[in-house]
Amino acid sequence: MNVSLNPLVWFAALLTLSIFSFLYRDNPFYRFAEHLFVGTSMGYWIALTWHNAVKPNLWIPLVKEHNLLYIIPLILGLFYFLRFVPRLNWFVRLPIAFSLGWASGVAIPAVLQASIIKQLQGTMLTPAMFNRWDTGLWSIVILIGVICTILFFFFSAERRGIMKPIAQIGITFLMIGFGASFGYTVMARISLLIGRMQFLLRDWLGIVQ
Amino acid sequence: MRIGETLLRIDRRVIYLILGIAVIAPLIKPIGIPVNVMPETQKLFDAINQIPSNDKPLLISVDFDPAAMPELYPMLLAILRHAFAKNIRVLVLAIWAPGTGLGEMALQTVAPEYNKTYGRDYVFLGYKPGMTAVMLGMGESIRGVFPTDYYGTPLDSLEMMQPIRNYRDIAMCVSLSAGTPGYLEWISYAGARYGLKIGTGVTAVSAADAYPYVQTGQLCGLLAGLKGASEYETLVERHGYSKAFKPACQGMDSQSLAHLVMMIFIVLGNIGYFLTRRQR
Repeated sequence: MNVSLNPLVWFAALLTLSIFSFLYRDNPFYRFAEHLFVGTSMGYWIALTWHNAVKPNLWIPLVKEHNLLYIIPLILGLFYFLRFVPRLNWFVRLPIAFSLGWASGVAIPAVLQASIIKQLQGTMLTPAMFNRWDTGLWSIVILIGVICTILFFFFSAERRGIMKPIAQIGITFLMIGFGASFGYTVMARISLLIGRMQFLLRDWLGIVQ
Repeated sequence: MRIGETLLRIDRRVIYLILGIAVIAPLIKPIGIPVNVMPETQKLFDAINQIPSNDKPLLISVDFDPAAMPELYPMLLAILRHAFAKNIRVLVLAIWAPGTGLGEMALQTVAPEYNKTYGRDYVFLGYKPGMTAVMLGMGESIRGVFPTDYYGTPLDSLEMMQPIRNYRDIAMCVSLSAGTPGYLEWISYAGARYGLKIGTGVTAVSAADAYPYVQTGQLCGLLAGLKGASEYETLVERHGYSKAFKPACQGMDSQSLAHLVMMIFIVLGNIGYFLTRRQR
C-alpha cells in the first residue's frame, strides 16, 4: 500500500467519494461536489472560450492587427445580446439566419453523401459480397433488416396481409438493435466506474499497480 | 410467490454494493480473462501498421473530454505507442476543447518512452473552435487553419510540417470520439469530401451506431469502448511495440465480472416478474 501524498489527488478522491455517496441517498457532501463541479466547469469554459475562440479569432485580428473586416462578425455576435432588449430582440434572427444558412449549406451535401448515399450502397448486394459465404449471408440479413425496418415505419398502409409479418420482422431487428445499444451502454457506464476505481485504488491508495 | 416478491424488492443499494465488489475485487486480485481481438480492432491496427515509417503522418483527433477518459485515453496511449514504435510521424489535434490537455498529456507520457523529438517526429496543433470549418479548412490548407502549433510556433519552422499542406499529405486520421463532433463529422467532411482514410475509437455508448460505417468501408477500423482499448493494447504488446502498463486490460476482468452480475440481476428480475405476474 502506497498512499498518495499529493493533496490534489486527495481532493479528487474525496470529491469522487462525495459523488458516490449519492448512491446511498442525497446528502450535503454530494451537493457540495455537484455545485463545485458546475461552478468550476462554467469558469473553465468561460476562460477556454476567451483564450481559444474570442481572443485569437476576434480580439487579436481586430484590436492588434487592425483588420476592420472583423467588425462584421463582432456586430453579428453582439446581436445575440439584443435578445434582452424586447423592442430590438428580432435582431437576433440575423446571426441565427447566417449561422443556419452557412451550416445547412455545408452539412446537407456532406451528410447526404456520408450517411445516406454510402449507407444505401452498403445495403446493396453485389457479386463481390458472395465471394465468401459468410459475407454474402450477412449482406442478405442487412438487406432484409433495412427493408423490413423501413416498412415498419410505413404508416400509410394498414398492417394486414403481407405487411404484418414484414412489420414483425422489422420490429425484431429494431429490438435486437436496441438490445445491442443497451448492452454497449451498460459496458460504457461500467467502464467509467472502473476508471474511477482505478484512480482510487491506484493513484490514491496505491493498492493496485 | 414470496420468492418472486423478494426478488422484485431487492434494495438498489444492495445491487450497487455487489456491483462495486465485482468491479473492485478483480482490480486487487486479477482473474486474467484472455482478451480476444475483434476484426474491427485488427483492421484499425493493420491500417496504422501499413503506414510507412518517416513518411506521411498519422493524424489523431482527440475528440473527447475527461468524462470519457477511462475508455478513450488508453486507446490514445496505445495508438501513440504503436505509431512511435513504428517510427510513424504523428500529428495531434483536438476538436473538443477539453481534449487539448489530454492530447498534450498523452504525448508527454509516450514520446519520451521512444525518444521522439517534438517538431521532427510529432506535432501538437491544439484546439481550434468551429469543427466544420476546421475539418473543411484543413482539407484546403492546414496552415490556413493552424498557422501555429499549440505552443505558438509557426508550422513552417517545424521540420515535420514542411512537406505537409493538406489531407493529401496525411496517411490517415484516427478520431477518438466521445460524441459530436467526432468520427461522423470526420467521415462527412474529411472522408467523403477529401477522401481521407478514417479510423475511430469510440465510447461503448456510441459503438453500435459506428458499426454501419465499418461495414460500408467509410471507417477502416473501430475500437469499441474499454474492450476495444484492451484489444489494441494487447495487439501493440503482442507485436513487441510496447511493454508499458495496460490500463484497459487491467479493467477488463472487472468489466466481465460486472457484466456477469448485471446479467444475473436481469435474470433474477425476470424470474421475480413471472412468479408474481399471476397475482397482479
